[in-house]
Amino acid sequence: MNAMSTVLSQTLLHNYCRGKFICLPKTSNLLLKPYSLNYPFNSHPNATTFCRFKNLPTVKVSGNSVTETSTVKTFESNDVVFQETFPLKQTQREEGKVFIRLDKGKEKKRWELSVGCDLAGKWILHWGVTYIGDTGCEWDQPPNDMIPPGSISIKDYAIETPLKKLSEGDAFHQATIDIDPKSEIAAINFVLKDEETGTWYQHKGRDFKVPFVDYLQDDDNAIGRKTVFDLWPGALGQISNKLDKAEASQSKDQDSKTEFKEPKRENMRLEGFYEELAIVKEVVTHNTVTVSVRKCLETAKNLLYLETDLPGDVVIHWGVCRDDTKKWEIPAASHPPETIVFKNKALRTLLKPREGGNGCCELFTLEKEFTGSSSSTDQHSQVESSDASVPAKTEEADQKVSYTDGIISEIRSLMSDISCERGRKSKTKAVQESILQEIEKLAAEAYSIFRSSTPTFAEEAVVEPEISVPSPKVSPGTGTGFEILCQGFNWESHKSGRWYMELKEKAAHLSSLGFTVIWLPPPTESVSPEGYMPTDLYNLNSRYGTVDELKDVVNKFHEVGIKVLGDAVLNHRCAQFQNANGVWNVFGGRLNWDDRAVVGDDPHFQGRGNKSSGDNFHAAPNIDHSQDFVRKDIKEWLCWLRREIGYDGWRLDFVRGFWGGYVKDYLDASEPHFSVGEYWDSLSYTYGEMDHNQDAHRQRIIDWINATNGFSGAFDVTTKGILHSALERCEYWRLSDQKGKPPGVVGWWPSRAVTFIENHDTGSTQVEIVKAERDVYAAIIDEKVAMKIGPGHYEPPSGRQKWSFVMEGRDYKIWEAS
Amino acid sequence: MEVSVMGNSQGHMVRTELAYRNLRFCCVPKNDKLIFSWRNSSVCLVGQGSRWRKAQLRFTSKAVHSQPLVRSDRLSATKRKSSDGVKLFVGLPLDTVSSCNGVNHERAIAAGLKALKLLGVEGVELPLWWGVVEKEARGKYEWSSYLSVAEMVQKAALKLHVSLCFHASKQPKIPLPEWVSKIGESQPSIFYKDRTGKHYKDCLSLAIDDLPVLDGKTPVQVYQEFCESFKSAFMPFMGSTITGISMGLGPDGELRYPSHQGKSKTPGVGEFHCYDENMLRLLKQHAEATGNPLWGLGGPHDVPNHDQSPNVNTFFKDHGGSWESPYGDFFLSWYSSQLISHGDRLLSLASSAFRDNGVNVHGEVPLMHYCKEGYAAVAEMFMKNSCKMILPGMDLSDHSQHHESSSPELLLGQIKAACRHYGVEISGQNSSVSEAPAGFDQIKKNLLGEKNVVNLFTYQRMGASFFSPDHFPSFTQFVRNLNQPGLDSDDLAEEEEITESSHMNSEISIQVQTA
Repeated sequence: MNAMSTVLSQTLLHNYCRGKFICLPKTSNLLLKPYSLNYPFNSHPNATTFCRFKNLPTVKVSGNSVTETSTVKTFESNDVVFQETFPLKQTQREEGKVFIRLDKGKEKKRWELSVGCDLAGKWILHWGVTYIGDTGCEWDQPPNDMIPPGSISIKDYAIETPLKKLSEGDAFHQATIDIDPKSEIAAINFVLKDEETGTWYQHKGRDFKVPFVDYLQDDDNAIGRKTVFDLWPGALGQISNKLDKAEASQSKDQDSKTEFKEPKRENMRLEGFYEELAIVKEVVTHNTVTVSVRKCLETAKNLLYLETDLPGDVVIHWGVCRDDTKKWEIPAASHPPETIVFKNKALRTLLKPREGGNGCCELFTLEKEFTGSSSSTDQHSQVESSDASVPAKTEEADQKVSYTDGIISEIRSLMSDISCERGRKSKTKAVQESILQEIEKLAAEAYSIFRSSTPTFAEEAVVEPEISVPSPKVSPGTGTGFEILCQGFNWESHKSGRWYMELKEKAAHLSSLGFTVIWLPPPTESVSPEGYMPTDLYNLNSRYGTVDELKDVVNKFHEVGIKVLGDAVLNHRCAQFQNANGVWNVFGGRLNWDDRAVVGDDPHFQGRGNKSSGDNFHAAPNIDHSQDFVRKDIKEWLCWLRREIGYDGWRLDFVRGFWGGYVKDYLDASEPHFSVGEYWDSLSYTYGEMDHNQDAHRQRIIDWINATNGFSGAFDVTTKGILHSALERCEYWRLSDQKGKPPGVVGWWPSRAVTFIENHDTGSTQVEIVKAERDVYAAIIDEKVAMKIGPGHYEPPSGRQKWSFVMEGRDYKIWEAS
Repeated sequence: MEVSVMGNSQGHMVRTELAYRNLRFCCVPKNDKLIFSWRNSSVCLVGQGSRWRKAQLRFTSKAVHSQPLVRSDRLSATKRKSSDGVKLFVGLPLDTVSSCNGVNHERAIAAGLKALKLLGVEGVELPLWWGVVEKEARGKYEWSSYLSVAEMVQKAALKLHVSLCFHASKQPKIPLPEWVSKIGESQPSIFYKDRTGKHYKDCLSLAIDDLPVLDGKTPVQVYQEFCESFKSAFMPFMGSTITGISMGLGPDGELRYPSHQGKSKTPGVGEFHCYDENMLRLLKQHAEATGNPLWGLGGPHDVPNHDQSPNVNTFFKDHGGSWESPYGDFFLSWYSSQLISHGDRLLSLASSAFRDNGVNVHGEVPLMHYCKEGYAAVAEMFMKNSCKMILPGMDLSDHSQHHESSSPELLLGQIKAACRHYGVEISGQNSSVSEAPAGFDQIKKNLLGEKNVVNLFTYQRMGASFFSPDHFPSFTQFVRNLNQPGLDSDDLAEEEEITESSHMNSEISIQVQTA
């Protein structure tokens, strides 16, 4: 920890302040401007930021019963007119290490990857694997037997495993992943996350990567790199090219796969390694400054005693003020030792180390004259409030109290500054960005609430045309509330290459089952065959079929009365070209954006755009929706899809990745009948056990819906997650929240909740939907559980299996196979 | 027609060709008192800042006689404390407290306040309506909702500028106090009336300022009691959270006569609002006192109807129109002096009510095509009452005007010059939420320019469009840019020095509101 403390002052809120004390770092000349008024983001190195005034202690002036330290003898005999302790919040940098070890496991022929950290914190290993044959640095879900207990799956690409303490009282945390060398894992990728601070830790600006095949070893971010490379140094590009070609020709698919596996197997010569990497964590530490003021009866002077537990040398930067001016003065002599005059404006006093303890202290003697004689009304009220605790004072004493009150408020505002100054000093760009993000979020929140109450405001707009607020186009993409949505594909659907045509044949049947909306797969050209890695947005020839087949199937669904949702992947887009550094971030096709369209905070892709307004999807360049040209192009594209293809609405992929307000814009422009967003993140867990209260999780979804101004619904992922636990582990109590309502989004905002059981990201084949009508949805899950939701009637068939009733509630009922 | 205009304080002459069809506005400086304008579709002394862009500007040749303004030393003698870059205020929604005295959009405002604080904004402006607080009966004040807003602002560690609104608002609908409207039903003469007999009921006529028509009290007394009650209710905030108060001076709070009524598609000349019995009485007194009793029987007979073009009748005719006659001079100077005395009455009451509370008193003057002398009289009146002048339209540039000869920038320059002359500090406002960055650039130009007397700038106004993705990012950028000319000294002790030595143009503090 750096033995240095900074305490700075600010323009004071109170107009009767008289003393200003500032602690300075002795060794640093850099003093930050304390004005809270300055705009926080200018590039000026001394630029100040706002302060957060919180948890300020209340002022208590007590005339007696103050315990005083024994360090200052002369001080004890006098009446303490004021004493208060102020918290000093500082952000410190703690340095520690991350340990990565690959070792032979307990069981034969298995390996263990351990990741540890010796800093305190709630550490989470956020990891995924790259399989042999995967191109690029995409993450994938590891095989199930690799996932340590207590882990959480993050969609289809990552696992979050908490690091556990090896022993109580030990700061060392560790997580271990068991690896089967026979599995086709090319590398394990991970980043560390500290849940306490929400900070992500990367390696060289990228993921940590532990390669198991030689061809990945020369990646910059590889850990445990060998010094000698054999056969395939830097051949990643070549391989992926070949793989692409291999995949393109389907008939040879099988052959080419085996063909490529062989050399890699040969190269897998696992060797254990152990690496330590430095890690810096910013930690908030709490110190205090205690200030007490006494009146010395003999000299009629004010004695101000200040002590702090800040470690190291602490310098107080101080001056005195008369009356209600805020002008600093240097008091007459008898300054403490180690005091220097600073630019004729202030004094700087180095505090004495405290006897036999940490921290330091000093006694300041102030002339009586710094008691103001002119009292403002504010002052009077202050005096009155303190009179209660300082009884039987003379008039002079009253003034004294008001004087000290002045100091108190002065010091108080000063102390609140300390915390922000300290924070500012060690402020990193990341912190500033989080402030920006905070502002953006707040603005978004304010916007959505204001928006919802705007129409009444706009009604009379005609009368005053120049001030008129254009009345918002109300085209909520929320449908009628009676939609039953069917996902018209699964993760394997692309394999036939003619899915659209296959689906077309099923249209009538789906209609007869009661579905009213079908969700079609992402239609664009894509790096991944499933379609979720779009490249040229205007090329609608995909692994599901051609653009004409797509139009055909959309028409067919319209004929049978089913509305069609397009799967719009707006969060990210795969580049077709490399920039000068060889990074894939230049786009092709009709929307030939450059790296300005890529968010600037994902080092993988070296975007020049702004920081992402949401979470990043690590596998592809994330689109910066704050760019006007991007939004304009996306709006045009969505309108084009509506017009050309005939889509009725959208299923929006990975909307966690960008601000809902932009979605609102897109929905405004494209006016869908129905829109549903996939806001998917992990539920809250405590010690690997899912919490009953998932309010935070559903709140995040609701917040997103709010940001879209309620124009879009969202999948009720909360309900889905809870259902999983409830059904799999027989924890049906989860299906009700503390208020007796459904625990998911449906319990809070039913009209926007798109109840959701399974999709392509989950094991879709286990669910058999047996009824999907207007008022009832019923499914048998893995032949073990039958459930229905909706007010309509459903009873599971009495046949081969016996169903026993488990529980029911408003609009749902659940049975179990016995 | 060729006109010459005094272009700026250097006495540079600008010559402009003006076609008749562009003639919308007329500025007639006969003596140092007269302010008069045609704007949009109305005749009024001053108009709404947000609408004057349609107005056309014409100076008669008489305007040319003015002296180039010499910058007064008065201001440089005034030391101002704050110098740490630019302060910012944002106006809260007009209906922050609804007409039924509840806090509206509380959650949105709370989030908005946090965002503004994080942005580094200094404070917010809160419109406080007479019709909400003293709604039911005279002297029965209900401050609780406004107090809770003030608390929110205090909690957010922001400053508060309170605008006392003694007028009614159409949008959102906030009427005058019920008991006042009731009096108005039986006594419509408390309102302005034009030649056609139409009443303007959104604020009281200035002619009754000193008549005991409100339950035996004069409006000035009622306003004064309102201010006193406000002061005692908000005493804990005075001087700390509340740093400024604006006194409502007329329609939309501005020192002007009502403009046109209702909506008229064809912009016409408007009407004089001097036909209620009290105005007529005052006119009569004035006519008798000046020895022309016959001139006191009514307004000019030869003005066009309010929706007619100025040239329809003879009063505003260009050559030999009645306005140039001794009668025209008599009438117009009386009409404008009434306005100035009204402003004087209200500002002096506000200034004496709040003088000792550490708050600045402001009054709003619409950015109108005053001539320099007209503004001089207004500025002098502000100086007399130690009030700051709020001017809207800081975001308007010459380029943004539809008519090539209308120059808001020129106008603003003239007002600033007048204020500088009298040592009156200006609080700027924008006329609308800026959609284009151009508006922000213009504001910046107005605030950071040389010889600046703009002391505050209020960005109007928080609401949905303010926080919309189309607007908020550019506002953020604007705030960021404003603060660029920051101090570069590296230690705080020098803060104090800067206070002493700072130049006027680095001392702008900005108050932001949205309209």
